[in-house]
Amino acid sequence: MRRQFPSRSHGAHAVPRRRHGAGTTWEVRTFVVVSAAICAVFLLTVLYLSQATTVATRGYEAQRLEQQRDELRRQNALLEVESARLDSPARIEAEARRIGLVRAAAVPVFQAEPIAAKR
Amino acid sequence: MTEGISRSRLRVLFALFAVATLLLSLRVGYWQTIGRAALLEGATDQIRSELVVEAQRGVIRDRTGAILATTVDLRSLYAIPKRIPDHAAAAAKLAPVLATPAATIRAALDSGAEWLYLKRRLPEPVARAVDALAIPGLGFEPEPKRLYPNDALAAHVLGFVNDDGVGQYGVEGAYDKVLRGVPGRLVVERDPKDRELALGLRTAVPAKNGADLVLTIDLVVQTAAEQALRRAIEREKAPSGSIIVLDPRDGAILALASWPTFDPSRVAAADPLSLQDRAVSWTFEPGSTMKAVTIAAGIDKHVVTPTTTYEDKGCTVIGGRRLCNAQGKVYGTTTVTQILERSANAGAVFVASKLGQDPLYQYLRAFGFGDPTGIDLAAEASGAVRPLAEWYPVDVGTVAYGQGIAVTPLQLAMAYAAIANGGTLYRPYVVAATRDAEGEHRTAPVAIRSPIGADTADTLRTMLVSTVDKGIAHGASLPGYSVGGKTGTAQIPSDDGRYVDDAYISSFAGFVPASDPHFAVVVVLERPQTKLLGTVTAMQTFHDLATDVLRNARVQPDRP
Repeated sequence: MRRQFPSRSHGAHAVPRRRHGAGTTWEVRTFVVVSAAICAVFLLTVLYLSQATTVATRGYEAQRLEQQRDELRRQNALLEVESARLDSPARIEAEARRIGLVRAAAVPVFQAEPIAAKR
Repeated sequence: MTEGISRSRLRVLFALFAVATLLLSLRVGYWQTIGRAALLEGATDQIRSELVVEAQRGVIRDRTGAILATTVDLRSLYAIPKRIPDHAAAAAKLAPVLATPAATIRAALDSGAEWLYLKRRLPEPVARAVDALAIPGLGFEPEPKRLYPNDALAAHVLGFVNDDGVGQYGVEGAYDKVLRGVPGRLVVERDPKDRELALGLRTAVPAKNGADLVLTIDLVVQTAAEQALRRAIEREKAPSGSIIVLDPRDGAILALASWPTFDPSRVAAADPLSLQDRAVSWTFEPGSTMKAVTIAAGIDKHVVTPTTTYEDKGCTVIGGRRLCNAQGKVYGTTTVTQILERSANAGAVFVASKLGQDPLYQYLRAFGFGDPTGIDLAAEASGAVRPLAEWYPVDVGTVAYGQGIAVTPLQLAMAYAAIANGGTLYRPYVVAATRDAEGEHRTAPVAIRSPIGADTADTLRTMLVSTVDKGIAHGASLPGYSVGGKTGTAQIPSDDGRYVDDAYISSFAGFVPASDPHFAVVVVLERPQTKLLGTVTAMQTFHDLATDVLRNARVQPDRP
């Protein structure tokens, strides 16, 4: 019942014969590996391109936002100037005069100490 | 097929191909080795741009934080005429918006230029109106513009910025380097649409913005000073004048007004004479306001006291020349206090004679006359006090009442401030602090020296209050406040070394409240139409201004 394997000393019979099923497996494996490698490279490339495109898009978006920020800052600065112009004492006085207000002739001043002392 | 071609032809063809291939290979080899750098540079130049990042010029604020000067990018309108389909129609649409004749715009568009500015630094509403027209071939480019929200207010303190971005006159000139900052550098790679490449090279040296300045100027006081000066100028039809308001306790300038004036944002249209700051860069013979300095010297040197008397005969002779009181008045027995109350020239000569030339000269210099005060503004004049070696014997008399000496209104204000504050001469200053990325740096007041002692200053204050209460300067008195001060009427030297006939410079120098002076004020009017009565207007101007300033500062009255 013991199975006899061919001896190495038997010359041409010493090399094991490639079986038909094993060759197919190797080819399939090779195909799979190569295909996987190609797919991986493809996916990596797509990933890289996707990332690069995203970064570029974000870069343009960042630039657009920077421009928007600069414009808002500029508008803010213009508003500050306009606010300062409107707050100008000379303008306020002219406006007050235009609506008929007049300068108080005298401003009464009360001494705080005597009032506080009475209390 | 090749049987018809001779071998020699084949050889020639082969040789030609071989040579061509060799030449091409050599050329390719050249570009890959020796010429590589040039190619690389050319390619890089197409996508790389190197920009100078301008630093933002600092903002100038008053002591309360109100903006006096700031820089904002305004939009400049440019045109690419080839892209404008109808020049005539575009010019017609733009003319009313730009307030420029259509023919002028049309001529610019038809000039043959590929690119040109139609109008630079447009006000924002105008830029928006142009934008709304949506004319093809027009575009905007931001350009920095210095804006002064209060128009011509404090023009001489601020100065201006010229078209090259360089500050001139005032603090814009004196602090130009501080305000301007340091430009930066930006190198980026750009796509064909001139957008920055996110993955491209980017090296940047950031710009260092200019520092902000906080001035000692108070916008309300400055406005009041300029309005008071303008009223006085109009009333007297005077060609020029100036007002200084300062805090005698530390030398901080609160207001500095000069007439004629200019609008810093429209300097090109200004009269060149109006650019001169007549408070700082102009000198005059001060006249009788100088008597306070002479008497301060006499008291400090203990040659006279407020009660020392002399016999006033109207004139006195010194150095062989007769020097007389104004209008030849004779006052009889007069105290030193009354010299100020009556503004007696002969009395000032009496004090100066007792003092002597050398001490008088030393006191004048100690009060700062003849030297720039050191204020942090551009183009300060030093005035003129002739060296003692050049004095004639009569000079001790004339200088005693303010002739033969030239001072700036600022020097006079600082001398009165020294009397007001107890005898300390401060260096005047207009920049209270600079603010940059590292924080705020405050200016410390600088006490230069004490020309007179505290007791002398106290005595002088009392005498000057008496001059306002009982004397010639009564027009400057204020209800509820003690005022110390002195009028001055000076003659104007002419080119031939004499004095101009019937033309004067009227002034008033004073401080308030005299018991604890918060404000020292000098008013100067050149050639008032009321001539000798110009001092009345100067006192009235002081009165109006002091009333406003005391109200604004909520200074408690020191008199019932």
